[in-house]
Amino acid sequence: MKPSTLYQSLKTDLSLAVRAGFNPYYQKLERGGAGRLKADRAPLFDLASNDYLGLAADPRVKAAMAEAVNRCGASFCGTPIAAGYAGILAELEAGIAAITGLESAVAFPSCYQANNSLFSSIAGAGDAVIVDHYAHASLIQGIRASGACVKPFLHNNTDHLEKQLAASRSFRRVFVATESVFSTEGSIAPFDVINDLCGRYDATAVIDDSHGIGVIGKNGRGILEHAGISGFEGIYTASLGKALAGTGGVIAGREALTGYLRYNCSGLIYSTALVPSAAASVLASMKIISDEFAVRGKKMWDNHALLKAQLTDAGFALAGGEAPIAAVMCGSSERTILLAKLFFENGIFSTPFIPPSVPPEQGVLRLIIGAKVDEADARELERRVAAIGCEAKR
Amino acid sequence: MDIEVKVLDLVRSNIEKKGAVTLQSDLRKDLEVDSFGTIMIVNAVEDAFGITVEETDIKSMEKVSDIVELLSKKYHVSGKQP
Repeated sequence: MKPSTLYQSLKTDLSLAVRAGFNPYYQKLERGGAGRLKADRAPLFDLASNDYLGLAADPRVKAAMAEAVNRCGASFCGTPIAAGYAGILAELEAGIAAITGLESAVAFPSCYQANNSLFSSIAGAGDAVIVDHYAHASLIQGIRASGACVKPFLHNNTDHLEKQLAASRSFRRVFVATESVFSTEGSIAPFDVINDLCGRYDATAVIDDSHGIGVIGKNGRGILEHAGISGFEGIYTASLGKALAGTGGVIAGREALTGYLRYNCSGLIYSTALVPSAAASVLASMKIISDEFAVRGKKMWDNHALLKAQLTDAGFALAGGEAPIAAVMCGSSERTILLAKLFFENGIFSTPFIPPSVPPEQGVLRLIIGAKVDEADARELERRVAAIGCEAKR
Repeated sequence: MDIEVKVLDLVRSNIEKKGAVTLQSDLRKDLEVDSFGTIMIVNAVEDAFGITVEETDIKSMEKVSDIVELLSKKYHVSGKQP
């Protein structure tokens, strides 16, 4: 096939965005201070990013990044195994191990890469991976690529999970993969029960805590603290680019696991190491979380409760998730995009989810307010949400 | 147990949406089953009847009745199951 024929065959269906007169994806925005964006110079409230604690614009985080650039340079320009395993990465890994209470951690350039390459390193034909129906694409694609048998279980349904475990006894090794916080609708996995089931059936639990670390748990330490689990025997993964306000990903657990991955995980070995400034930002964020989570966490939860009340008063139906994520249930893809447009036109940037990110006819508009909105902004948001509610009913 | 009853029961207990499931239910449109959800149903069918469903057959499943028909015609699952 000629390249020109190939390119002609690559079609992206943007008809929905054309019909709505609005494409919410890849919007060009300028980021300024915490919680504020600009699109064509018009200010926007940022309820789309995952900056739960408002750390992305914290002066201490920014200063730590700048200092790391000055000290270590812009990039290691090499893979961690060969040329890029600097002290700051080891420091980051020790910090993640400490905050999660796990033995050891290994840093990846992204959590997508970590999840995607984990299963190919530790599982294969003859193994089974039982995975939550709504788990992130990075986990599912990684599991599929490993050659292991993929066995979905109903979302957060531990009875259904147990049936799958009981039916998987003939496999060589069994893994149970799930997320702590499901970020489209904000539900939290009953991970205490899931972890117990894994113990009873000799399965290895794999938990992606991307939207949990820095968010849930009494001290913001994530799902293991939230679920009251100590001495976790399973595998922990997380993004460093959400509440931790950096970029990159991590896999943590027993030293035997992380040591093995350092020499056997292609997603780590063949990729340029996480840049030093990213490691520095996460280290600074973890220090702030350790010192200030009581205040910032409370602000995040208070803001979330306020936003939920504002949305409900404005007539929107919300998913019943427990995490600080407001998910407006929209139904069709068209209605989801039109509602995102309405929010945008009223100065609120949100995240619309349509299939295949969500099941058919279950579009969701996600709003994460986090700790970054002050009282004056909260009042302004209330006015805008009420106006959007009135307009949406027309 | 009748094969139709058993398939209906398997579909009902392996989908997220609660509500009526009939032989005429469209997996995607009526029951909101996505591609990953289809795997869940297929796994349950395979475990229950001791068969392995081919990839091409999975793609042809649109209605619940398609699963019943496939089981009886292609995989020769008999009408009465224990």
